Amino acid sequence: MTNTQEKKSSSRRSFLSAAASGLTLTFLIPDFTRIDEALGASGTQVNAWLNVAIDETITLTVGSSEMGQGSFTGLAQVVAEELMVDFSRVRTVQGSPSMTSPVPVGASINTVGSGVIRGNFWKMRDAGAIAREMLVKAAMNQRADQVRTNFTVANGVVTHTPTRSTLSYGSLAAAAALLPPPATAPLVPDNEFRIIGKTVPRQDIPSKVDGSAKYGLDVQVPGMVYAVVKHCPTFGGTMSTKPSTPSGMLAVVPLSVFAGTGRGTEVTGAVNAIAVVGPNTWDVWQASRRLTVRWNLPANAASLNDAEFLRQANALAVSAPAYVPGGANPPGTLYTVEGAAAATDSALSSSAKIVDATYFLPYVSHACMEVLNCTVSYSPAVKCEIWAPTQSAKSVLQLAMAMTGLLENQIVVHTMYLGGGLGRKAEVDFVSQAIQVSIAVGKPVKLMWPREEDFARDQYRPMGLVHAKAGLDSSGNITGWSYRNISPSILGQRGAVLGPKGDSQGSEASNALPYNFGSRNVEWVSHPSPIPVGFWRSVGASINTFAVECFMDELAAAANQDPYQFRRTKLTDPRWIAVLDAAAQLGNWTSPLPAGRTRGIAIGAAFNSIVAQVVEISNVTTTSITINRVSLAIDPYIHVNPGQIEAQMQGGIVHGLNAALYGKQTFVNGAAQAKNFNRSRMIRLNEMPQIAVQIVANPTLSDRTRVIGGAGELGVPTFAPALANAYFKKTGKRQRSLPFFPNATMGEL
Amino acid sequence: MTLQLNVNGQNHQVNVSDGSMPLLWVLRDLLGLTGTKYGCGIEVCGACTVMVDGQPELSCDLDVTSAAGRKIVTIEGLSANRSHPVQQAWVAGQVPQCGYCQSGVIMTMACKMKAGARGSDAVKEVKNLCVCGTYQRMKEASKTI
Repeated sequence: MTNTQEKKSSSRRSFLSAAASGLTLTFLIPDFTRIDEALGASGTQVNAWLNVAIDETITLTVGSSEMGQGSFTGLAQVVAEELMVDFSRVRTVQGSPSMTSPVPVGASINTVGSGVIRGNFWKMRDAGAIAREMLVKAAMNQRADQVRTNFTVANGVVTHTPTRSTLSYGSLAAAAALLPPPATAPLVPDNEFRIIGKTVPRQDIPSKVDGSAKYGLDVQVPGMVYAVVKHCPTFGGTMSTKPSTPSGMLAVVPLSVFAGTGRGTEVTGAVNAIAVVGPNTWDVWQASRRLTVRWNLPANAASLNDAEFLRQANALAVSAPAYVPGGANPPGTLYTVEGAAAATDSALSSSAKIVDATYFLPYVSHACMEVLNCTVSYSPAVKCEIWAPTQSAKSVLQLAMAMTGLLENQIVVHTMYLGGGLGRKAEVDFVSQAIQVSIAVGKPVKLMWPREEDFARDQYRPMGLVHAKAGLDSSGNITGWSYRNISPSILGQRGAVLGPKGDSQGSEASNALPYNFGSRNVEWVSHPSPIPVGFWRSVGASINTFAVECFMDELAAAANQDPYQFRRTKLTDPRWIAVLDAAAQLGNWTSPLPAGRTRGIAIGAAFNSIVAQVVEISNVTTTSITINRVSLAIDPYIHVNPGQIEAQMQGGIVHGLNAALYGKQTFVNGAAQAKNFNRSRMIRLNEMPQIAVQIVANPTLSDRTRVIGGAGELGVPTFAPALANAYFKKTGKRQRSLPFFPNATMGEL
Repeated sequence: MTLQLNVNGQNHQVNVSDGSMPLLWVLRDLLGLTGTKYGCGIEVCGACTVMVDGQPELSCDLDVTSAAGRKIVTIEGLSANRSHPVQQAWVAGQVPQCGYCQSGVIMTMACKMKAGARGSDAVKEVKNLCVCGTYQRMKEASKTI
């Protein structure tokens, strides 16, 4: 070991269980969740459970969720590296959440904020290293030689070099399990990596080509009945009269909003939906469709429409009362995120040129391929078993404890594969409904939201109106930057009391930008719309990076400068410059384009990763744009599986592309209008641009002090502005409002 | 009513209250073949695609009565041990992300290839919706078959 890193205890505590099956390390690591961070909570809990068995198998139990982002595989790579075994020997299994620690079960990692790898990279390395050193220690004891340098490890075999005798991990596991874990263990030096930084196949993929992968909606439990949910179409509406049970059905169950699961219009205790329960999905769904439910509509229903939301946003762009420490600060309050208005206004007033622009982004649905669903089997006062496609298994456990009064050890949560999560499955409203139905009917139940409910009762990406204003001097320097984003508060709808800087989710990627702006003032205003909002892949960055990078492009044009060079000369962070350069090079920025094509560029950061994209387009019509190429560069600081990062960038680009061209949810009298994919167009295979991805290399992986970036959400934010900037180059027109094609529809196959 | 279905080479007798129940829900709820997915229910997304008499059919909109007496193949019956060339190419090319749409995509590909198309041509006829955006890898993987 030439590069032994200093480490703190990996494992604030390591819990060891000596079992006949071998060495089991349960490592406790700080829970890493964006939502918890944002709400000021913290926790220490069991996140994963590593077992080296006497039969030579190695199992890593992971508590985060697998929704296609591949982080199970990434965690296994990190552990395999430190254990010094082939990647293929580490098997990952889905763990269950827990409230207490230490407990010998798997993890509680909420799968949000592109956080599984970045939050666990060092901890998984420590865990693998500690387990390896315990196995070596067992070998040292067995060989009666306490000189560590007399032992080497390769492929899960410990060799005693003086005698050339070997001992396998499996043969050492039982003895190792009796040893106290060391507080620290030396890590594999970066220049000896065999697995970290290499593309390896994802472990879940084989099951996803033969139908054997079990998603939430695939769960079947003996004696199970089926429930289909029907909400009040109007947000804020409640059931007037409980309908009678239709013929052939088992029950109609009123569903109320359980504490902590309602957002905006949906208040705790309100009966905002019913579930029809019966023998199979289709019969129940048809009965639900035919069933007339009388709803009490909220008094403000008529004001819950897009025109009113825009009117409110425009008014708040001009004038909004400032945050008062300790005050009520109702929706509509202005929060200063960065700088001060007076100083920036003063800088702007002496500028040679002033540019201002207003950008608008709509509410957008998540539209995961797998609709919301949950299966629950509840035995009164005995047990509650839950199968859910959830990004938040621990929240599911907490909810079940609160709803049933059962103890943690009476509740079993099975995290199923997710047919997409995208942030929506971090919520637990649908879980609370399934628990209610199982309690009501006294049978195991699989509850499903038909696609129309999934769209109509989403917790949407917030709408956002951004007003930006900047000054330029005669040399094209930016003298002042004034930026105000007005959007509904994600954290506010979750009961958070917002501090002086407002909602971190709303302002993310709008502040601390490494551009030389001269004087800067960044503000965020809480929009009063009560339409439920939530975490949508890349969250606030999906709004702010669009506005910031479109506006930078407008400034470049106003300064008569190339958009790439304009950004480059304003950037103050060498990592950002390197990423911008890499994307420009990958996208052949300085090379002439074929006739009819144009390019646009954008850069941004989120979840500690920096991403730049060059988007190349052609054939602009009133209903379509051909997107030919996308060139993306990312600096995530570390990368465990480059093939997987490439896949996530491709997926993120498509997510951003669908939203930029077509994505929107609109409301009339408090009711969502786009209720299926036909009204929420997305691209099909023939519209897929060619995507090139480059990971910007970082030579100093072993620096524990550096933040690690995420990947899952990073393809999204920079796509829309790069597209809009290419569109400007092509047409001379600025697209300041998304989506490009709000009336697009998608036809049948 | 009772119907005879031939699914993956096996005959099944199914009881449905309503002959208009789509094949999708018969497969999933009554036969336990959950590899075929519900996505949209309106013939837009293709997640429910199965092979019926060698042709791709959207099972979310195919009445079970119309499927009776025909040869139905679902993702579970496409091959033993994931040996179909499309399945092998999809694993080798690391195509799926969440994977939810892939049963439908693979069955569509398999139908096109059964009709004699090469992979790179068959993929051009794939219109299935993939929200994860795995299209580029679908295209690349198709070139190998």
